[in-house]
Amino acid sequence: MSEPELATPFRERTGRALGDRFLQQALDIATTKFIVLRREAFENLPEGDRLRDRAREIKEATLQQLDRHLDRLIDEIERRGGHVHFATTAEEARAIVLGIARRTGARTAVKAKSMATEEIHLNEALEAAGVAPIETDLGEYIIQLAHERPSHIIAPAIHKTRGQVAELFARELRRPGLSDDPEILTRVAREELREKFLAADLGITGANFAVAETGSVVLVTNEGNGRMSTSLPRVHIAVMGVEKVIPSMTDLVVFLAILARSATGQRLSVYTTLVQGPKRAAELEGPDEFHLVLLDNGRIPQIAGPLREALSCLRCGACLNVCPVYRQIGGHAYGYTYPGPIGILLTAMLNGPTSVKDLAHASSLCGACADACPVRIDIPRMLVTLRKEVNEQRIAPWTERVAFTILGKVLTRPALYRLARSFGRIAQRPFARDGAIRRVPLAFGEWTRSRDLPAVAPRTFQEQWAELERERAR
Amino acid sequence: MTTRAQFLDRIRAEMGKTRGSFPSRVSERPARPVEAADIIRRQLAERWPDTLERFRTEFERVGGVFHRVATASDIPRAVGAIARERDARDLVAWHAAGIGADVEAGLVSEGLAVRAVSLGATDAERRELRAASATAALGLTGVDLAIAEMGTMVLRSGAGRPRSTSLLPPCHVAVFDPSVLVESLEQAGVFLEAWHAEGGDWGAMINFITGPSRTADIELTLTRGVHGPKEVHAVFVEGGLRG
Ligand code: SF4
Repeated sequence: MSEPELATPFRERTGRALGDRFLQQALDIATTKFIVLRREAFENLPEGDRLRDRAREIKEATLQQLDRHLDRLIDEIERRGGHVHFATTAEEARAIVLGIARRTGARTAVKAKSMATEEIHLNEALEAAGVAPIETDLGEYIIQLAHERPSHIIAPAIHKTRGQVAELFARELRRPGLSDDPEILTRVAREELREKFLAADLGITGANFAVAETGSVVLVTNEGNGRMSTSLPRVHIAVMGVEKVIPSMTDLVVFLAILARSATGQRLSVYTTLVQGPKRAAELEGPDEFHLVLLDNGRIPQIAGPLREALSCLRCGACLNVCPVYRQIGGHAYGYTYPGPIGILLTAMLNGPTSVKDLAHASSLCGACADACPVRIDIPRMLVTLRKEVNEQRIAPWTERVAFTILGKVLTRPALYRLARSFGRIAQRPFARDGAIRRVPLAFGEWTRSRDLPAVAPRTFQEQWAELERERAR
Repeated sequence: MTTRAQFLDRIRAEMGKTRGSFPSRVSERPARPVEAADIIRRQLAERWPDTLERFRTEFERVGGVFHRVATASDIPRAVGAIARERDARDLVAWHAAGIGADVEAGLVSEGLAVRAVSLGATDAERRELRAASATAALGLTGVDLAIAEMGTMVLRSGAGRPRSTSLLPPCHVAVFDPSVLVESLEQAGVFLEAWHAEGGDWGAMINFITGPSRTADIELTLTRGVHGPKEVHAVFVEGGLRG
């Protein structure tokens, strides 16, 4: 299934985002706020660094025995009366969910925020099969009504003003003259969605973790929609990437201690829900059927692939907030389900390196993402690898490949470098303005259409350094 | 359709190609979790007032309302006061075994319309509970762990302990005593291990609840009670529950 944003080229998408004043402001306020909250949360946690190291190690150790932990998870869920399904592709995952929906005669499905179901484009498939999917996270609900897509992993509707939300609700929910007070808008959503929760046949969720030892699927939410979706409908389906499994409850609490802090600066999110199969005989509530769909969709080949580290991602969104590129262009411009620095890697994982021939360059490699990441994923390192791959697979324009090959040679040979420097100083004269080159002629024009190139300085660092050395020697 | 064997075989094939990124180990779990949990409980029994103070601070920080009563017989009065302040009458309550005290009669004499959940699980009961929970103003539950570090209450589902009592009514009132207090999430982890090791006839869900339901999805404005309760009250019974 295609991503609607991709009809427009990446350069135009970013151009549009950069021209949107409100989006720029909203992004700035939101990401800055998340950064501050996250920093404060970790300042109050002296053992934060140790916990982050532990979390990273647990993820890596789990990956080293992934088959064993998944085997255990499957056994434990089945022992509790649940069912586990295996989806190699997105198509297969959709077919599994639709099969369950058909067999149980489901007409409506309430969904709790799940990137995995977004990734497999489940909603379109459900609609086509006559099952109405209802997003229940407030942000997701807003963008579903608006027929848009999430722009942030944690705050999907940050690109919308309260006025826009009020208009949207007034129109779509037939509530004319609605105030734009978030309190009132939230109450309206509560009323609308409460009815849906009580009537829904299916509850479809993602999972933040799955604990192998106890067969638990773990959902972390603030609104309570995750609890509703797993308590009220008669069937619960969780769709989860294979990398989300962790061994034990002791491991789980390590992740819980850092996840909410990294995402929203809370010590814990309001609700952490552990689901262990369908409702027990003695319980009055809970689903009669529980299904877990284990999703590959490009993950398994990365166990031994260049993007292995990205399999440790908790989807906390911290790397988005600190990324200078994300902060400027927002989530939509990336064009795929997962935005931001980690989103580029996940997009490559899901759709192959060709899909990120532009995106691989949408990073300044400043390293802020790796610093912010609770599990210390070295995103810049993998981005460089990706760029290399994109280059080798001749996905980049030939002019760029030739230019960088030459540049590589020049940079590693001092004599050539000095020669090029002198040449550059003369050659740049017609193009340089205020210390920057905004347009380079001929074949290189493509490269500077979206970038400014610093002009060669009148006196370079090397020359200044040599001069200093000479002065010191005197 | 991919089978379990095919799926896991593909994973094994990939695992065979790499030794991993670096040597690493998963968490060391308590060898005897039930005993480990008991030790924590005994140690904390002596210094619960400090733990409670911390709980209270954190619980209030996340927007909870804290109450303190001397004995279990004071619970109905505290709950009655909460109800009157909100002009509320309809209350759904966990079975007495889940709360740790039989408060039904007391609540009725406070003027509340009480729907106490039974231990049985018939279809009729199920339907009726759904209807009652969807309209009740208050939900009364017990607490299985109170984590001081973050002001979190942990509730296990099971017979007479519906999941929705702490979810559907706009106001959740939870009753607890010193025996369920722990200091940290790490200690809570030991209890989770112990519960798993003990087994027993519990429900299929465990919920960690940290304050009232909230969202900041519209212009980052913090709003309470989006799907779950707008208010969460914790009633601490100093003299203890369960006799
Ligand atoms: S890469 Fe790290 S910071 Fe980014 S979403 Fe994943 S866990 Fe969070």
